[in-house]
Amino acid sequence: MSDSNKPIQPVDPAGPGQWLKGNLVGLGSAAVLAVYAAGFERTRAAAAKFSDEAAVRRPHAPIRTTGEIGGLMPRVPDSAHTPQPKIVAAKPDIHAASKSAAAKRPEHATDTKPVPGADSVKPQATVAATQSPPAPAHDSTPAPQKPAEVAVTTKPTPTDTAQSEREIVRKDGTYTGWGTSRHGDIQATVQIKDGKIVFAAISECLTQYSCSWIAALPPQVLARQSADVDIVSGATQSTDAFYYAVIAALNKAK
Amino acid sequence: MGTVVTIEVVGHGGDAPGRVARADAVGRAIAWFQHVEDCCSRFDSHSEVRQLSDQIGVPVPVSPTTLEAVQFALALAEETNGAFDPTIGAAMVERGFDRNYRTGERVSVATTEHATYRDVEVDAINSTITLHRPLQLDLGAVAKGLAIDLAARELRPFTNFLVNAGGDLYVGGHNAAGAEWSVGIRHPREEGALLDTLRVSNCAMCTSGDYERRSVIDQATHHLLDPRTRHSATRAASVTVIAPLAVVADGLATAAFVLGPVQGLPLLARHGVEGLIVTPSLERFTTPGWAHE
Repeated sequence: MSDSNKPIQPVDPAGPGQWLKGNLVGLGSAAVLAVYAAGFERTRAAAAKFSDEAAVRRPHAPIRTTGEIGGLMPRVPDSAHTPQPKIVAAKPDIHAASKSAAAKRPEHATDTKPVPGADSVKPQATVAATQSPPAPAHDSTPAPQKPAEVAVTTKPTPTDTAQSEREIVRKDGTYTGWGTSRHGDIQATVQIKDGKIVFAAISECLTQYSCSWIAALPPQVLARQSADVDIVSGATQSTDAFYYAVIAALNKAK
Repeated sequence: MGTVVTIEVVGHGGDAPGRVARADAVGRAIAWFQHVEDCCSRFDSHSEVRQLSDQIGVPVPVSPTTLEAVQFALALAEETNGAFDPTIGAAMVERGFDRNYRTGERVSVATTEHATYRDVEVDAINSTITLHRPLQLDLGAVAKGLAIDLAARELRPFTNFLVNAGGDLYVGGHNAAGAEWSVGIRHPREEGALLDTLRVSNCAMCTSGDYERRSVIDQATHHLLDPRTRHSATRAASVTVIAPLAVVADGLATAAFVLGPVQGLPLLARHGVEGLIVTPSLERFTTPGWAHE
């Protein structure tokens, strides 16, 4: 072994990671681990602060854990509270509309009063001191989130809840809403006819950059009948602004 | 980092300790971004990388974060023969990328020579970095990637989560619909169009495009400079890399952007990552394993 020049061991005592030369994934992993180990304590204070803030907000959370034991029993959508029309009903459902609007993912089927940010963990952390819009609650999954220590992954079965949520009735009319990003604001206009989104567009674009490159998003809102737009790699900030604008507009469709 | 960071953890309330643990972890994940920014920003005069430039030729003790970030950046520079070079900071300032995105404050650096990554020496044993020539480190791509990876590591116990820093992201598990995360890639030229849509899970995805930041001096100059020529790289319009780590995806995307498809694809393949390179004439080049819907 000694005659081998293969870099199995650090040839050069220059330091840990040298033997990983040429293996960027390995070197990257080592770097992440090293920084993580060294800096864990450093992030504690910030985490505690955040935790306190979350605790203050938490009492407003709707009770949504009914029917679960230790968070492990799959949650069944509560159809008593949420009509799930396969065909769009004539009567507008205020709860359904606001709920659908408030939920990023359309599986939000159990609570009748979603409180944005109540229990969700989607803070808009902005390293750049951005004023972000309040994050909507979106954290419901058909299956429960397992505790951190449990290693088994329970993949939730997608139910048809998502489908029915998308067909939920909204009050007819034309609504506008604003979304904010670091680069500026976007106003979305959403028109609802017969409970369906028939028109969605960016009506005002006050962003630093052109809004036109997120023009693909409004048709997606039509196609999906919700604000569940894709993440766009490379254009996320304005995507988010449009998303929040649609949310705001749909919230008015009550 | 001049970026809005979004963190999503999929899952409902659970019991009270579970919620506290989740909020705690998200708080720590966010704190990592702040921490990396504090160490690695070339726009903050108090950051460690800025402090380094004040002490040329002297070993300067640095935090593990800066040490690891610089060490990785140098390894990437070596792997790419300088197509990625963290010493490009001075050239960035010359080209007008000299404003702190947060405060608008201008930065200036006193560098005259064309230094390269070979002028940076890392002593991992003593945790010091020595700059042998006046230069300004720009860890941009590496620092952001590292922060995403640290945040992702913090959130790993929750399995299903998303860390999104301005379109560079790490996705864990599945989305709230129980499906793999659906990520669109912005088209570099056709406004509003997507290049591709991918279903991804447990990986990082970073896109480098020539459309993001334009120089205030010259609109034809974008923020991805070829370190070897000190001008905007022109061989690619957009490069997306999918890798196990954001630091790798972000770093290799930047390097492949400079190299273009002919040299870029072999680089990506050599490191076992997947990539999509689109040239300014909109030709598409992908690694063999690149899959799309």
